[in-house]
Amino acid sequence: MGGIFLFAATVVFLIFKSFNNISPREWTILIWIVMLFAGLNAVVKSFLQEKKETYMYYYTLFDPTDLIIAKLLYNFIFLCSIFVIILLFMGLFTSYPVKDQSLFFTGSLLGIFGISVVFTFVSVISASDNSNATLMSILALPLILPILLLLLKVSAVSVRLLNDSAVGDDIWLLFGVDSILFGAMLILFPALWRS
Amino acid sequence: MKGWWWKILGAVIFLYVIIGGLTIPLKSGVTHSHPGSAKGGETLKLSISTYNTHFLSAKNNRAWLKFDSTHAIKSKNIQLRSDNTIDVSFSIPKAFPVTEKTRSLTLILDNEIDGAFVQPNAIFITASDTMSALKGEWENAEMQNFNNVKGIRFPYRNILNETIRNTFFHVALWFAMFVLLIAGLYHSVQYLRTGDFDHDIQSASFNKVAIMYGVLGLITGSVWAKFTWNTFWTTDVKLNMTAVAMLIYLAYLILRGSSTDHDKRAKLSASYSIFAFLALIPLVFVIPRLTDSLHPGNGGNPALGGEDLDNTLRLFFYPSIIAFILLGTWMSSLMTRYERLKEKIFISS
Repeated sequence: MGGIFLFAATVVFLIFKSFNNISPREWTILIWIVMLFAGLNAVVKSFLQEKKETYMYYYTLFDPTDLIIAKLLYNFIFLCSIFVIILLFMGLFTSYPVKDQSLFFTGSLLGIFGISVVFTFVSVISASDNSNATLMSILALPLILPILLLLLKVSAVSVRLLNDSAVGDDIWLLFGVDSILFGAMLILFPALWRS
Repeated sequence: MKGWWWKILGAVIFLYVIIGGLTIPLKSGVTHSHPGSAKGGETLKLSISTYNTHFLSAKNNRAWLKFDSTHAIKSKNIQLRSDNTIDVSFSIPKAFPVTEKTRSLTLILDNEIDGAFVQPNAIFITASDTMSALKGEWENAEMQNFNNVKGIRFPYRNILNETIRNTFFHVALWFAMFVLLIAGLYHSVQYLRTGDFDHDIQSASFNKVAIMYGVLGLITGSVWAKFTWNTFWTTDVKLNMTAVAMLIYLAYLILRGSSTDHDKRAKLSASYSIFAFLALIPLVFVIPRLTDSLHPGNGGNPALGGEDLDNTLRLFFYPSIIAFILLGTWMSSLMTRYERLKEKIFISS
């Protein structure tokens, strides 16, 4: 866990040293790219590191829906703390260009929730398939793109790179995507869990 | 015969679309005219290049510059240079029928072989007398008795030209792809509900054919973009969202290829394909609607229907969708049968 935080901090430092001067545009893009890869690394651990015996143990103890929600909550909080760390270091080394705080944080929370739903679900799939970590990134990255594109747009608006009075639609869209994926995960997980 | 009539139907319709869609000529149209502007009171000699016209064999070539539905000027003299080039002289009145300084006029050409065709905003006229309105010179243009072109012709659109035929392939492929993906989704859901292995085979076959259609749709679209937008790939939102959708489904193929355990593979790929389809809905249906796009129907571009999809195009466009769906179902049923045989050998060995 500490390793992931260190990873995020190091990447941010690397970005700071290689760019030296980061414009708001690059800031919004980089923050989400770092978030994406740190998150991918973090979530891979949550399912792939556990042993077959642990699964059997879980299987006897919990309802699958409880288990997946617990995993999801853990991942969500984990990703949120990674996000905070990235924000802190980005603010420390470079700048903090966000103008519309409430928009930025609502968008980010919804986005991170979507990211954790997709990552958790995909990590279940790749864990069932012989704990294949490459499969995880192959499956997760294209699935995450719609959420990421919406997130980039919302953050661009909150940094005032774009002017869009209809940004509320994007927030609702993000919410809609999140709930669709969350619902699908809840329905599909029990079927996967049985294997 | 019973049970496979639709395969023949699909092939016949597809043949009809290919033959009809590629051989029926376009209507005539103006590619460009020169000069682009003129002054009131001048005698204007307009050199016009046209597409798919037969000026030399036509007996009665006529031309007008139209101001509005009642006001126009008729050509003074028409010089035929070839079937597709023509020089038309107009004597432009000093003033417009209303007091106005400048106006773009529409060029109308007409003859009995090619029918009437127009070039909107063909010439930009600056009136030399801006204070008064001259009605008389604009009124006796005899703008009537237009000829209609004989037979079926596809509409002529500037920039699109002959590539308008790609509508039957590019657009129809997307429609068919979605129908096949929905069929694949249905079988995925059925597999998870019943656990019947046959549904897994069917959903995989439908999805594979749909992916092939998607790739073909991207290729036909890319070639079309080269001719109309002058580049194979743009930052257009629909283009890139579809590319993402294709990535999602290619990952599906990798997922299916990576697992050796049949039961597990079926379960994983069924769940993933349901999840992927749900992620696809915002990608393909919602985000492009919120953003500007070069595609028809977005950002002020005309949509399907209206003027762009006229009745002659519809005559081939809708059959083309049906043909692609039927052929896709045929292809996926062949794949299903092949997989079933492999399964049988696997079980008996």
